[in-house]
Amino acid sequence: MRKRDAIIGTFALGLAACGSNPNSPGVEYMPDMYRSPAVEAYVDYGQDPYYFTEEKAAEQRERMSARKPVNGTIPFSMDADKAQFNMPYPYPNTPEGYEAAGAQLTSPIAMTQATVDQGKVIYDKFCQHCHGATGQGDGPVVNNGGYPPPGAYNGPLKDLPEGKIFHSLTYGRNVAMGSHASQLNKEERWLVTHYVKYLQNGGKLQREPMADAGAATTN
Amino acid sequence: MPLPACISRRSTGSIRTAFALFLSLSLSAAFAQAPDAALYGQGEKLFKGNCASCHKVDVKMTGPALKGAKAKWEGKGDIYAWVQNSQAYLKTGNEMAVKIWDQYKPTVMTPVALSKEEIDAVFYYVENWAPPVAKTEVKGHVGPVDEGSNSWLWLVILALLFLVVGLSLGGVKRSLASAVSEAEGKGPLPETTRMQRFRAWAWEHKVFMSFVGLFITVWVILALWDAAWVVGVYGGDEVPHYKPEQPILFNHTLHAGKADQGNLNINCQYCHSSAEKSKHAGIPSLNVCMNCHKAVSAGRTPEGTAEIAKIYAHIGWDPDKGQYTGKEEPVRWVKVHNLPDHAFFNHSTHVAVGKLECQECHGPIDQQMDVAEQWSPLTMGWCINCHNVKEVKMDGNGYYDEVMARLEGDTVLGHRELKQYLEDGKITVKELGGWECAKCHY
Repeated sequence: MRKRDAIIGTFALGLAACGSNPNSPGVEYMPDMYRSPAVEAYVDYGQDPYYFTEEKAAEQRERMSARKPVNGTIPFSMDADKAQFNMPYPYPNTPEGYEAAGAQLTSPIAMTQATVDQGKVIYDKFCQHCHGATGQGDGPVVNNGGYPPPGAYNGPLKDLPEGKIFHSLTYGRNVAMGSHASQLNKEERWLVTHYVKYLQNGGKLQREPMADAGAATTN
Repeated sequence: MPLPACISRRSTGSIRTAFALFLSLSLSAAFAQAPDAALYGQGEKLFKGNCASCHKVDVKMTGPALKGAKAKWEGKGDIYAWVQNSQAYLKTGNEMAVKIWDQYKPTVMTPVALSKEEIDAVFYYVENWAPPVAKTEVKGHVGPVDEGSNSWLWLVILALLFLVVGLSLGGVKRSLASAVSEAEGKGPLPETTRMQRFRAWAWEHKVFMSFVGLFITVWVILALWDAAWVVGVYGGDEVPHYKPEQPILFNHTLHAGKADQGNLNINCQYCHSSAEKSKHAGIPSLNVCMNCHKAVSAGRTPEGTAEIAKIYAHIGWDPDKGQYTGKEEPVRWVKVHNLPDHAFFNHSTHVAVGKLECQECHGPIDQQMDVAEQWSPLTMGWCINCHNVKEVKMDGNGYYDEVMARLEGDTVLGHRELKQYLEDGKITVKELGGWECAKCHY
């Protein structure tokens, strides 16, 4: 009788071990192969088997793994031509800064078909879901999600100067558009701006004269 | 063009307006309660094109809610001048204008080039607008199917049934044999236990039983061997996928799913933007969530709204005031995919150079994963199987031009033996060293 109980018990234990608790990663043999003391991003070092006491583990668990760089940090660039993109952005996040960027700021990259194509790749990943594939403000987030529609690039935003486009990408615009500075570096923001200009021009490369109407007439 | 009723002062826009009017008329006539469907349609079109990126009808966003605005302004100022150019009108010192400016500054309203009639149409739309009926179901939500465990249960029940039937048949057979033996005058068979009878039978069939024993032993060893392969494996076909509950129940399907299924179709890399630049795909910081969720505080379900509220609590956002409170609390996301430290993996290599789709390793995360799970086993066998068959994307990658030149070159640098790699017309990752130990273990 004992023997049979033992067999049933073992069987039940085996079943329990095979059970699918989605919250449990399962058995880890040789846990040091899974969690090493070498520092890696997104690792909960509180689970590190090298810390034997609960206090040590708890202390590790309280440490944040993803952090912002120190304010004013300038990224290092191997490429001297690209060092300019790492300089701080001079215009403040105010209505005056927005207007100033629109009036003064121009793209440091010459607009060519190649930069427009690069911009399109970024646009499709980062802008298309709201602004729509052709910039009509009809992306799936607007259509399916009921999101406030952005202005169309061939409509209300047709004459938006590139400085303002860049400024909006950097700081966000109003409530509906957030800052994309953490996702796109300055070079990428300029490339997207090129593609937006391209859409504003109705799919033509030629660069529009600056927003200033006076400058346009003197040409 | 025979559109006599639509000749407006703005001749350039007239045909377009007329067309839009006709379109929205035919579209909205069915559900708009507004008595003047044409005006309602025109207003809707104008509102969506010019106002909706900053104003909502019923709640405030960047600017105030527009419902009731016209009544508020009645007798207190010129709402048309205010809408057309708010900054210019502010300079007149109108009390109402100053009051609104104080509430919303420093956000400047972009001047709007609409005529009085058009502004009237917008307000007509706004006043007659009714909130849409909430969508009850989002398509594309396919939960995990629980068939496996059920069919397994049925097998056990079936086996138990067979056992019971077999045992009772055995009992009947023995009773019959006993009765026959009694009838033949040999007396009843001696009382023996089942185990004794089984032993006697097994002894009679020694050869058969030793084969059965051998079979069972080999089977058990093989089963153990197989089981050992999936210890510590949290994804793939062999084991239930690791699918931990996260502190915020983010729905991947809803955000990244196909647009034609009612989902938002946001590119994976919008949030995991470091996937093509860094070793890690990255867990997006909450400011990326807030790029949209500043304006979206209500989910499609009450549960969704509660999850969005969790984002606000963590990042310290007061949705009523529309400001950050500064009280932040990091989210403790649970890491799903865990590679051992001695295996090197780099996302950017696979995404930017290999041009793999995220789904090739992470599974249909945009189709059926409301909760993210580990789809692939992430074992070494799985890695090198893929390296064995995947072709290297040589085109448009300057680094590989030199590699290709060496492979194709006749005697250049003595790489003639490398020509064998080109025999099947494709260069796999393995052929360029994807199976070298030190590629991933160093």
